[in-house]
Amino acid sequence: MIRTDRLSFRIGDFQLLQFSLEVAQGQYFVLLGPAGSGKTIFLECLCGLRKIDLGQIYIDGHEVTHLEPRARGIGYVPQDYALFPHLSVERNIVFGLRVRGYQRKDVIARVTEIVDLLEIRHLLSRRIDGLSGGERQQVALARALVLRPKVLLLDEPVCALDEATRQDICAELHRLQHQLGLTTIHVSHNLEEAFSVADKAGILGEGKLQQVGSIDELLRKPQNEFVARFMRCENIFSGEVVSPGPLPKSTTVQYAQTQLVVPGQHQGRIKFMIRPENVLLLASDRHNDPVDNKLRVKLIRVRDCGNYVRMELKGTIDLVAHLSHAAFTELKAKRQSDLVAVLRRENIHVFPT
Amino acid sequence: MITRANSPVRGWRGRIFAAVGFFFVIVFITFVLTLIITDVFYIDKKAVVTAITSNFIRHALWLSIWTSFTTTSIALLFAIPMGYTLSRFRFPGRTLVDAIVDLPIIFPPLVAGLTLLVFFSQSAMGRWIQENTGIEFVFQPKGIVLCQFVVAASFAIRSAKTAFDDVERRYENVALTLGCTPWGSFWRVSLPLASNGITAGGILTWARAFGLFGPLMIFVGSFRGRTEVLSTTIFLEQSVGNLEVALAVALVMILVALIALTIIHLVGGSTQVKL
Repeated sequence: MIRTDRLSFRIGDFQLLQFSLEVAQGQYFVLLGPAGSGKTIFLECLCGLRKIDLGQIYIDGHEVTHLEPRARGIGYVPQDYALFPHLSVERNIVFGLRVRGYQRKDVIARVTEIVDLLEIRHLLSRRIDGLSGGERQQVALARALVLRPKVLLLDEPVCALDEATRQDICAELHRLQHQLGLTTIHVSHNLEEAFSVADKAGILGEGKLQQVGSIDELLRKPQNEFVARFMRCENIFSGEVVSPGPLPKSTTVQYAQTQLVVPGQHQGRIKFMIRPENVLLLASDRHNDPVDNKLRVKLIRVRDCGNYVRMELKGTIDLVAHLSHAAFTELKAKRQSDLVAVLRRENIHVFPT
Repeated sequence: MITRANSPVRGWRGRIFAAVGFFFVIVFITFVLTLIITDVFYIDKKAVVTAITSNFIRHALWLSIWTSFTTTSIALLFAIPMGYTLSRFRFPGRTLVDAIVDLPIIFPPLVAGLTLLVFFSQSAMGRWIQENTGIEFVFQPKGIVLCQFVVAASFAIRSAKTAFDDVERRYENVALTLGCTPWGSFWRVSLPLASNGITAGGILTWARAFGLFGPLMIFVGSFRGRTEVLSTTIFLEQSVGNLEVALAVALVMILVALIALTIIHLVGGSTQVKL
């Protein structure tokens, strides 16, 4: 278990503010954030490579705030892995054990265990500069895991890899982490990585931890616009409450020239969103539910994004919708087609004020 | 042999591009070799025998070799911690310190000799050092090492700093998390990774020390059998009209420099880190 209590750190114009986070024993936590949001700095603070200004860091209930990096029980895999280029793969892996003065038989036992676990025995005699990106990642992981750390910190561990290798390595990371029951913090700017490995995730932005939750919560119930945009939600609106809605616990909101029904009871000005994959598109107005929001829109642009089709729609409200290929084919829509967009009130999320 | 794959540009444009580069390489190498060959053809056998059998010249050769290697060792002893400190730590006046380190590279070597002479013969502190430590420098062989150090150490320090600048901090950071102390990460990671640059600095320092002439004439003089080094031998022989002997000594210097550089490159090449 690792916990930070109101951790604050400032360097130049950048600062981490009151950063409180708890990652439970055996949990795989992914810290997401755009480039420059301070993810690496946060990991370096946890490692003890940067001296924090305020707050505390606890590992397995013990405060480690003022301990040296080597005494914290942390396994750290930095971005680009930082494998020592003057040492072979084997000497990279045993580096920590040698430094800590382990007996030869213990070194052999631990290295055997870890290279078998990661299936990298064939790499042991190789030089670092001859390894592929995926192999380097595995060696860096072995070098960190061979010391049996209490917490594993991974800084963008797969960002330098191609798409296929990235998926393989993510699956491998997930398998290893569950097999070892190791508390892990993995930082990344890539949502797909979080989707494939995270038990829980957090969004870091503007020096603050914006939200922590399951991937589903971050996707469907973001705390604010920053989180929503980071989670690739494009339909974000700001409107004025007009009246209570037609149903209990609903509100009618004026946005542009349109009135929309949103869930919950609200007052004043509110911000709300609907995820692109939750925008329902119909070829004609044959939707029966009178309390769902229906908008007449024109299809402006279609883009094939691989596993979905992205559609830009123009109407009284401009929308973006994501459809599966099957749904798009069934819709038989072309550019400039007139469509009906249905925004179900239960799919609309109002940001907490 | 140059392969196509190694050439930066292909086709006739690439050939012209490469030809321009090779033109300058060939001109330079031809010029240097021509100078050496001219020397070789100019001297006669008798002069070479005189140079090799002369006790004074053998003493000067030995003095040149041991002082230059001693200077290089002392310079590296300073250069490694200084290079690391200047590379890694930020402190008030760092820019000024950086400039002072480079100063001996910029100013004329004669100034170093003159400054040392004034310090040790005219200043109270210089005289006190010589009188109370029992180490005499002015017109003494030890002064050769000091003079070479003042003139040449900056090359080693500058090279070491650049070498440590090139070692990314993240290697040290990882070493710290793996169990190293700051000392441990320096010895096990930073120093081996910087060894290429440090070796290069050592070579430059040695070359500068081995060929030093002007400041030595001022600070230690050129006493036969005591403070005479090969560069001053050349001057002395030439000044009394023994041009052939001076040239023979010059060739010995070139030969020693060539052997030393080859050995340093070979030894450095086998231990250096490939990045």
